[in-house]
Amino acid sequence: MMPLFASRGGIYPPERKSRSNQVPLQQAPLPARVILPLRQHSGRPGVACVTPGEYVKTGTRIAKRDGLISADVHASISGTVTQVSAHAIQIEGDGLDTRHTLTPLDWRETDALTLLARLDESGVVGLGGAGFPAQFKARVIERHAIDTLIINATECEPYITADDIILRHYPGEILEGAQMMASLCGASQIMIGIEDNKPEAIAALKQVIAQSRPARVTLSVIPTRYPSGSEKLLIKTLLNRTVPSQGLPADVGVLCHNPGTLLAALQAVKSGQPLVERVMTLTGEAITRPGNYWVRLGTSIDELLAHVGLERARLSKVVQGGPMMGNTLDTLNAPVTKLTNCLIAADQAELPPAPPASPCIRCGACESVCPVQLLPQQLHWYAHAREDDKLEQHHLFDCIECGACSYVCPSHIPLVNDYRNAKDRLRHQQIEAAKAEHAKHRFEFRQARLAREEAEKQARRHARLAQGKSSSGSSAPTTAPQADLRSLRIAQTAAKAAVRKAEKVLAREAQQSPDESHDDLEMQLATARENLKAADLKLAQARQSAQASEESQ
Amino acid sequence: MSMLHASQAADAPISTGGTPPTASLMRWVAAATLPGIMTMTAFFGLGVLSNIVLAAAFAFVLESTVLYLRKRPILPALNDSSALVTGVLLGASLPPASPWWLIGVGMVAAVVIAKQLYGGLGQNPFNPAMVGYALLLVSFPAHMTLWAPPQPLVGESLWAQIMGSLPSEQIDALSGATPLDAFKQKADELSATRFWANDPLPAGTLEAWRMISLAWLAGGALLLARRIISWHIPAALLGSLALLAMLFHLADANQFASPTFHLLTGATLFGAFFIATDPVSAATSRRGKLLYGAGIGTLIIVIRNLGGYPDAVAFGVLLMNLCVPLIDLYTVPRPEGHARGAMR
Repeated sequence: MMPLFASRGGIYPPERKSRSNQVPLQQAPLPARVILPLRQHSGRPGVACVTPGEYVKTGTRIAKRDGLISADVHASISGTVTQVSAHAIQIEGDGLDTRHTLTPLDWRETDALTLLARLDESGVVGLGGAGFPAQFKARVIERHAIDTLIINATECEPYITADDIILRHYPGEILEGAQMMASLCGASQIMIGIEDNKPEAIAALKQVIAQSRPARVTLSVIPTRYPSGSEKLLIKTLLNRTVPSQGLPADVGVLCHNPGTLLAALQAVKSGQPLVERVMTLTGEAITRPGNYWVRLGTSIDELLAHVGLERARLSKVVQGGPMMGNTLDTLNAPVTKLTNCLIAADQAELPPAPPASPCIRCGACESVCPVQLLPQQLHWYAHAREDDKLEQHHLFDCIECGACSYVCPSHIPLVNDYRNAKDRLRHQQIEAAKAEHAKHRFEFRQARLAREEAEKQARRHARLAQGKSSSGSSAPTTAPQADLRSLRIAQTAAKAAVRKAEKVLAREAQQSPDESHDDLEMQLATARENLKAADLKLAQARQSAQASEESQ
Repeated sequence: MSMLHASQAADAPISTGGTPPTASLMRWVAAATLPGIMTMTAFFGLGVLSNIVLAAAFAFVLESTVLYLRKRPILPALNDSSALVTGVLLGASLPPASPWWLIGVGMVAAVVIAKQLYGGLGQNPFNPAMVGYALLLVSFPAHMTLWAPPQPLVGESLWAQIMGSLPSEQIDALSGATPLDAFKQKADELSATRFWANDPLPAGTLEAWRMISLAWLAGGALLLARRIISWHIPAALLGSLALLAMLFHLADANQFASPTFHLLTGATLFGAFFIATDPVSAATSRRGKLLYGAGIGTLIIVIRNLGGYPDAVAFGVLLMNLCVPLIDLYTVPRPEGHARGAMR
């Protein structure tokens, strides 16, 4: 057993997990109709690739990844596409659930590129809540050296038990999924971080580890304390490595995955099943059959809750996610997405409305529970006074929005709300300030596209010319000096480096703030790619003519 | 947004993670003053209670009046009990059986000027009770520096004293001196041992002050145990005070009293647990609290030993209140993930 490294702060909220983890995993009924949003992940929405009236099977791709940080979307039932809007695709089911599967692969025998392509075309994204595209996360090896893959099975939010339950049911598959992802990113060891309030899941994992004796897998049972599952805190606890502020786990050689993601990734590879369903926790006092269910993506939340016995008279609110970091739904007329890990149908007593806030008396309770050592009450003052430089000086952007401060505040001040609003305001200012920059990037993209098209035209003309010449037998003009070839080669290398750099910047930004739009960075990447294409074409063309002139001599 | 709250989650496995709501927090502070107040009453008579009752009454009346004038909701503010705490703390600081008008003037300075004019609870840069106390000390030194000797529960002229109708010759006759005062007034050539051997104080004075100090310590321990205050400020205050007193004492034992004397007389323990820990006007980070407490302890000894006043808790606290913005600026903790020394 590895030693655990203490971190500061944290709270002990009521767990309320027993309501949903006492029953085995169940299957929610096949929905008659699904609405699949094009954006069920961080980054850009997918682009619809079906038209109304088209017949689709369960697992047919209906939207394609658009840009670097984006993901495919698949039909979660078989039937007919009835509506394609800018945001979502609606499918009317035929009730047959005819499956479209990809070729099953043995990941140990398959090369990395094929595996990455499989994750890509299966639409696997992080199922813990952030929805970061798994294929892109696995490609981290292009930019960072990774030595440890962490299975984040802490599930520290109250109420949620989805990871707990799938760990009990699929411990072997999850471990195998972790081994696959570890081999993809080059991690030599796997660590499982799990809170000590999940004895059954721990037992299941121990049994699997004892049976299969995998190399370099460590199971670390950590004390139950919110928010132990926050990625950076978990890395500190398990490995005593500190992820730098504004940095990524990959900066310290770590990749974290949620058990659900690993299961989905393995299923995509081993059984060729795209991501069309997920396990989610349905709980709360206002439903009579709480538990964990396999639910098809796109299922209506209203129908789903009705299926588990929603008592509408008792219902006070429906929370998506956990009670600490989740959000209250305005309408039940919304679909389940890849990001929906939990729905809490709460009655008035269990999640009562917050009492009115009274003034801050600077008691410091918030400071003592803050897991990242901020001064929440100072941030509160500065957020209200809109002192933006002070906010940044007090590290507002290091706040992980865990809600521990709001939980303990004796004056019931909605601190996290203040911070979110302040962050939004500051980001908005940055976007406004960068508008001119965006316009420049758009212009550069257009220039690059035109240049690439010009290069293509040139290449075609050149090819025609060369063909004509070879048939006519006349000698080619020997105007391909070596120096020109060399400078083209240098230009091509520079263009490649620019693409890599643009990818890196985008990847970092997207992982740091998965909820933001990164269109500008995507555009810069596209520009770099156009430049690379043009450089490639020019180089190939110059080489050809050089070759031709050599031959003719 | 967190939809759970410590005060509403009765089923939380460990409830010590949070503090009780602000109102009950204030009431705990008021409750924790009881041992100190009761001991004081036992030694100095009902004049102690009359101070506190009058001060608390003034606190409620003044707070409601100002809130009414400011057109702010009155009941929620009264319900948070912060005015009550200010009243109790100022009342406990005043010489027993202070005249009503003295208490009134002090409470106007505390509640109206120091608290409400700055924007009410949470907005005041200075400790309200100490603003009231300091104003009275500089404006009415005769009334403020003379404590009656230990006396029975009901003193001879208690009522006349409270009503302020006692002639000033009689006040002087009634008054004794506090141990701090007496030691300060002693002739320079008189050695400390001879001074104590003569026992210049009325009988039982020193013991009374020791018992009262220990009672405040007991109240402070209750606040610590309930996690209503953190240990940082009292520990730093008492530590720096004892250390500095020791240095002075070692340098010249005749001029400067021992650390024990400084700890157990005057308002040291009362100030360390009940005054300096007022969160509103104190520094916020852990490191800042240590600096803040140490600053108060240092100022207390410097003023007691070298300054013109026998005691200095109020001035020490107010002067350090002034420094809080500066302390806060330079003690922002280093969040997880920021390199050491990389702070701006």
